[in-house]
Amino acid sequence: MSNSINTEASTDTQTNSGQTIETDSLSTETTAGESDERIREAWRQYDFDGNAKLSVEDLNVWYGDDHALKDVSMEIPKKSVTALIGPSGCGKSTYLRCLNRMNDRIKAARIDGSVELEGTEIYDPNANLVELRKRIGMVFQSPNPFPKSIRENISYGPRKHGDINKGLLARLFGRDDTAKEGELVEHSLKQAALWDEVSDRLDDNALGLSGGQQQRLCIARCLAVDPEVILMDEPASALDPIATSKIEDLVEELSKEYTVVIVTHNMQQAARISDQTAVFLTGGELVEYDDTDKIFESPESQRVEDYITGKFG
Amino acid sequence: MSNAYATTDQLVSAESNIYDRGLDTAIALSVVGFMLGFVTLVNLVPPGASGSTLTTAFGTLLAVVVGAVGITSLASYANVVPVTSQRVRGVGLGLVVSTLALTAFATALPVTMATLLGIMLLAEALAITAAGVSSRLELVDAEPNMSAGLLSGGALGVIGLVMGAAVGGALTGFGSRLWLGGAAVAGVGLFLLTILPREDLGSTLPTAIVVGALGLTIVTGTIGVGWQWNPQTLSGGFTGGAVIPVFLLSGMLLSAWSAAKCRAGFGARGREYGAFLVINLNAFLMVAVMATIVVFVTVKGAGYAVHGLTVGALTALVLLTPALLVAVKFARTPAGTNDWNSGARQLFRVLPLAAVGALAAMFASVLVTGSPLRYVYDYTVQVNRQGKTLDTAVAVTPDTTIGTLLLTALAMVLAVAFFRSFGSLRKVGVQSERARLIRRAVPTVVLVFVMLSTLFLVLGPAPFGLPLGGTLGFAAVVGGAVAASGLVVYPLAGVLTSDEPTLADSAQREAPLFTLGVFGGLGLLLATLLLQPVAGINPQVGPVNLVPVIALGAAVASLALVALTTVAKRSSEETITRRVLAEERRLGLVGAAGFTALLGLHVAVTSTSFTVLGVSVANKGSISWPMVMEAYIPLGAEPGGIMPAIIGTVWLVIGATLFAVPLGVGAAVFLTEYAEQGRFTAVVETATNALWSTPSIVFGLFGAAFLIPRLGGDESLLTGMLVLGFMLLPLVLITSRESIKAVPDEYRDASAALGVTQWETIKSVVLPAAMPGVITGVILGVGRIAGETAPLILVLGSTLNAKAGVNVIDGFQFVSEPPFIVNDALMTASASLPTQVWAVIAAGVSGSPQMGWATAFILLMVVLTFYAVGIMARTYFRRKLNYE
Ligand SMILES: Nc1ncnc2c1ncn2[C@@H]1O[C@H](COP(=O)(O)OP(=O)(O)OP(=O)(O)O)[C@@H](O)[C@H]1O
Ligand SMILES: [Mg+2]
Repeated sequence: MSNSINTEASTDTQTNSGQTIETDSLSTETTAGESDERIREAWRQYDFDGNAKLSVEDLNVWYGDDHALKDVSMEIPKKSVTALIGPSGCGKSTYLRCLNRMNDRIKAARIDGSVELEGTEIYDPNANLVELRKRIGMVFQSPNPFPKSIRENISYGPRKHGDINKGLLARLFGRDDTAKEGELVEHSLKQAALWDEVSDRLDDNALGLSGGQQQRLCIARCLAVDPEVILMDEPASALDPIATSKIEDLVEELSKEYTVVIVTHNMQQAARISDQTAVFLTGGELVEYDDTDKIFESPESQRVEDYITGKFG
Repeated sequence: MSNAYATTDQLVSAESNIYDRGLDTAIALSVVGFMLGFVTLVNLVPPGASGSTLTTAFGTLLAVVVGAVGITSLASYANVVPVTSQRVRGVGLGLVVSTLALTAFATALPVTMATLLGIMLLAEALAITAAGVSSRLELVDAEPNMSAGLLSGGALGVIGLVMGAAVGGALTGFGSRLWLGGAAVAGVGLFLLTILPREDLGSTLPTAIVVGALGLTIVTGTIGVGWQWNPQTLSGGFTGGAVIPVFLLSGMLLSAWSAAKCRAGFGARGREYGAFLVINLNAFLMVAVMATIVVFVTVKGAGYAVHGLTVGALTALVLLTPALLVAVKFARTPAGTNDWNSGARQLFRVLPLAAVGALAAMFASVLVTGSPLRYVYDYTVQVNRQGKTLDTAVAVTPDTTIGTLLLTALAMVLAVAFFRSFGSLRKVGVQSERARLIRRAVPTVVLVFVMLSTLFLVLGPAPFGLPLGGTLGFAAVVGGAVAASGLVVYPLAGVLTSDEPTLADSAQREAPLFTLGVFGGLGLLLATLLLQPVAGINPQVGPVNLVPVIALGAAVASLALVALTTVAKRSSEETITRRVLAEERRLGLVGAAGFTALLGLHVAVTSTSFTVLGVSVANKGSISWPMVMEAYIPLGAEPGGIMPAIIGTVWLVIGATLFAVPLGVGAAVFLTEYAEQGRFTAVVETATNALWSTPSIVFGLFGAAFLIPRLGGDESLLTGMLVLGFMLLPLVLITSRESIKAVPDEYRDASAALGVTQWETIKSVVLPAAMPGVITGVILGVGRIAGETAPLILVLGSTLNAKAGVNVIDGFQFVSEPPFIVNDALMTASASLPTQVWAVIAAGVSGSPQMGWATAFILLMVVLTFYAVGIMARTYFRRKLNYE
């Protein structure tokens, strides 16, 4: 308190502590006063060069009577990293699942709106879900490896798609892809920063891995199918800092070739790796969507600013 | 873990508290009493036993108890199974002391078993009272609650009601209603006595009264051995022989509970220990009852079942090999990180090894000395209402013919190598031009075969004077045999004639083709062997049987390649080459294993024998087991066997499983994965459950009235299979459905997100994960249907006169008109174990009762075998799903 008398005199050259005090008092006012801040259309408009990989328009999702996503429209640029941030329960996972129609699998979910993948409507009744999900891969919030060996987990997708043939028949017909499988397994695991830990026990059951290893295995499994878009739901939530930074490097690397949409609760992570950021706030609304630098340096919405600086959520 | 506590004198004087020691003895006494109750219940020792019978019985009991406690304390002393709990030690000591006392009592005094049991109850009552009172007088440390609680009060109240009614009725007669008064007084009295005083009195005094009263009735002879009560309302009656054991079981259960509560100082810990004892004694009773059933059947049937069992010493040795292997493995398994006393560990681990080894040595000595070993024992059978002593024996005879078993066992050991190497085999991915050539040739060959068969069909049934089946079979046999040898020899020639710089390289190049050769050859030879009896011919050139010759030749070729690659491996440096060569070497072994197995199969299927270098390989003579290998001889003139019934039951189970499992699992997949969960699935579920509880005779009637008219109009094996299949279906459906439901949705999501279709997901993720549950269902179901009698009586046709088992495999025949494959064996009536038991024992159809018991025993064994196979399969899948 005695400190504040000093700073009062020199408001121009505010010290750090002075700044904090000021924003603190400001924020309590705004969150109290502007909790029903109107979302302006312009905040969600994000202009970028090049083509959109995914364009979402007026997406609404209901779980029974629960309106979980409200009128979300968003264009996701090609070969870039898009971060989705927002408080828990605001509908990030729901939104992510809409992008490869995984919400179709939830009985209670009702989806309305349009999502286009390079101009093709994915909610078309004739859409080929197998092809769609091959092109848009997904890593889930909690690790879910199959109760099979590490190798089989990775080669599962390609095998089912007929890209890898194994077994006696394939061998008899001279189309055995064991070598190809080995390369694929190694490549995918290296990409997911797991190879060094498991290279000597590829035939062990994947359930014997630690939680963080399982999550990286799931990432590798997703990469093995070679999708165009990769949806990641908090892929690093169970990882230690080293593995996290490996995953972050991987995401940056991937963005050269792939379109990555990533949900994260880690602001620094979002700021580090993403090109653009979308902020969802409680109630399932997309509040602001813009360049990552813009969002983190000077967001338009007061609520977004509060959320990012940690005053609200 | 030190040795400090595990010394014998500490076992005796670990605690000097006389109260605790006394209660431990009381608990031990009730455990002994409980067991004695069971022993008298099953009439192992009748309640009326006295004199030498009694002393013998107690001597045995003493030996068992002292032996068990002794071994346990020895093991504890040696730190193998350390017993740390003071209570367990106390009870152990108490067991010895109380058994000793009982034995002394039984020897010294002229009492009957019943009196002794009554005295035991009285002693218990006294001990409990003393413990309760001393706790109430604060002579010992205890933390009793306010009251023993309503639950105990209620239970004792009910017991009081029953006892009051009995006593009242006995005094006044059940004619008047006075006994109701007795019941009420005793019930309410015990209830109040339990809940009103402090817990230490409340949970001891009423129990002591009940137990004491039970003891008194027995000791005073009110209810003695000869006692009988035949109420007019019941057609039967109660005898002392049945009532006294029940008194003892319930009285000892009660006193064990009370004593345990006292021992643990009442309160929460007392309840815990009391409940622990009661639950354990109950579990013991359950297990004992189940074991009794098995033991009963075994005792009644095993002797007759093994009469005349003769085993060649070599065969016995072979049979013993797996046990020996397991024992060796067990002995070599490291004990883990515990600092177990290594000497004792060695002792305990080597014991089984020593036992098996001793048996092996015995059989070997029979082989060397050439004199048979017989275990003869008398067994009386009823022949024409006269007891006749049967020369029943288990014999081990020396023999020079090695049985098929020898071959098969050898092949099995090698087959383990096969499964091991198959995994790494897949790693070999080298292409080969010749492999492609052969691959292209395969469709042509198939086409030619099809065309030839069509030609035969068109030209008529017997073009070469052979029936069609025979012709095709002959063609297949010769073609298969030639192709098999070609496939194996060709790559070998390739290796030898190759112009590659090193042998290793050429061997590696031939690897895929060789794989093709071995597996193709194996497949073809198998087909050949199976077709041979169908074709009704033995392809012979002069005195030489082609198939074994080819098999031997191929095995030699395999081994030659093994040798070659081993040599090559030595001169090769490259690691990849090494790997490939190692795999091929193993493959060679596998090939040899396969051929040996086929050879064994050949001998088994074709009933032939052949001689190599003076060693005769035959399928008869090395083991003979009349009960299992001979047909039934009616009228019990000679003890024959029940081979047709065994074969019938095995086929029934196989047929029913083949029918029900795919259908049930399929329906479960549909209902769980595809159908909308709603009213429809609910209805199906209810219907399935209802079907599962439908009485089996209803299934039998359905089979008789619906299936039989549509399937040949006569009782048949096929109808039996279908009816049992229908019975199995609901259980398979229910359990599969539950286990499919239990597969986490995450797996399905993960698979869907990879763009895998639902069906592929079900096939490769859901069903494997659900497999253990599905197998559990099949195990339970098979257990039920294998022993099912009622429906089989209606649909299978009981053929006690069957001279041979149904020959289902040989029964398949190809015909030139639809349905092209027929099987007469499936359409004929068959014997089965349950119907045979029913016919022999219950219906009194010819034969001695011993025959029936022996049949029941073998039925039990067959069911247990199916059960074991199921459990092993389940364990395998469980392991696969978790950590391999
Ligand atoms: N399967 C479902 N059935 C019903 N309601 C659901 C379902 N899945 C999500 N919801 C609801 O939808 C809302 C959004 O959930 P969602 O999982 O998308 O949140 P989220 O932003 O991913 O949160 P978190 O950061 O905690 O993962 C929540 O209120 C949640 O309760
Ligand atoms: Mg989420």
